[in-house]
Amino acid sequence: MRLAVLALSSMVSIPAGSYRPLYSTPDAPTIHVGAFRLDRTLVTRADFQRFVIAHPEWQRGKVKALFAEPAYLAGWKSPTVAGDVADLNRPVTSVSWFAARAYCAAQGKRLPTVDEWEYVAAASARRRDASADPEFRRHVLATVAARPRVPSSVGRSAPNAYGVQDVHDLVWEWTEDWNSVVVPDDSRSAGSSVDARDHHLYCASAALGARDPSDYPAFARFAVRASLTGRSTVNSVGFRCAA
Amino acid sequence: MSLSLPRLRLSLLLGALCLAGCAPRRAESSRTTASVSPRSAADAPSLYDLTSRWKDHRGEEVSLSSLRGRPRAIAAIYTHCTATCPLALGEIKRIAAATDSSVGLVLVSLDPARDTPRALAMYASEHGLDPARWTLLAGSDADIRELAAALGIRYRRLDADAIAHANLITIVDANGVVVHQQTGFDGTADAIRIAQSLTH
Repeated sequence: MRLAVLALSSMVSIPAGSYRPLYSTPDAPTIHVGAFRLDRTLVTRADFQRFVIAHPEWQRGKVKALFAEPAYLAGWKSPTVAGDVADLNRPVTSVSWFAARAYCAAQGKRLPTVDEWEYVAAASARRRDASADPEFRRHVLATVAARPRVPSSVGRSAPNAYGVQDVHDLVWEWTEDWNSVVVPDDSRSAGSSVDARDHHLYCASAALGARDPSDYPAFARFAVRASLTGRSTVNSVGFRCAA
Repeated sequence: MSLSLPRLRLSLLLGALCLAGCAPRRAESSRTTASVSPRSAADAPSLYDLTSRWKDHRGEEVSLSSLRGRPRAIAAIYTHCTATCPLALGEIKRIAAATDSSVGLVLVSLDPARDTPRALAMYASEHGLDPARWTLLAGSDADIRELAAALGIRYRRLDADAIAHANLITIVDANGVVVHQQTGFDGTADAIRIAQSLTH
């Protein structure tokens, strides 16, 4: 029980609100996001090491091929040793969506949705919705571009207005419905697979349909999501859980 | 698929983000008739490693592993779809018509709110889907999301009436290993050939 209490205190309460997603038109209704809780920072290698020790089916070498690419947990010293002491507070990366989801489920949590994640990511240090603030956008862009090649320890960046840390600083993050970024196969040919209302989801017209074409960091996040599969084990993608 | 950080960073700085967004899209298009070379059963990714529970159109609870034992062609649908789902159904029906009964057909609903087992049964009946060969599956949001991830199906609810989704037909072998995927509607001949080859 004590562990559960500690786990709860590592989460931040996010009040309900609304936000305007990247792929949206000025007259489209904003998206309502209900209240939820979100991990203050990213799941670390130490956290994930505890998880794979308790759940051996998620260890490198044992994980089913459906759930992870061969690079799963690459860089770990062994299937149950996430690295040196210095590595343990780094965010866990090279972790597939299936594994991230299983980790959150084991904590009684879940992955945040794209909407929840983007809603929180729109907060600057002072304002909950800084999505239209050019200065904040420049800051996020610079932060993303300056990410260390090997992600450094979590929890060192300044919290945003919700008290959430490391949103833009270290890695991209898995979301529950990352695969809701629809990138149709033959959008411009006859017999298009998605109807006309969906044209704004196509890459080529993204700059036309997006709420703000200059929101490069948001485009980057959607581009990453569009590039992933559930098995992807990319060293620049980590995650945090929601509840 | 792996993303290199330098490439992302470069594209970010250039503001040329479509590079990252479009590259996989082109890859998917060119995959229209791509086949995955079969691996040994032990280390191959099998859909039947998913442990989710579903309801079929008979209202019976089924696991995905109950589909094991014969090759299957799998597609995602939602029964209220009026856009391209009828086309997708037409394609998978072509596969059904060109193969014998040892190939099973599976339709996974993306719409848990409306596609109850009863609604799926009506859909099967309306479209003349032989219950001996066709399985229509209704699941929870989370389980649909997971199966879609395993199949590489992207989908998004646009509004109450529309769900945008990739028209992807997947052929799996008797062990649930993906042997072929077809995006769009121009690769059905290959899908048929591969489905036939699995029954021999």
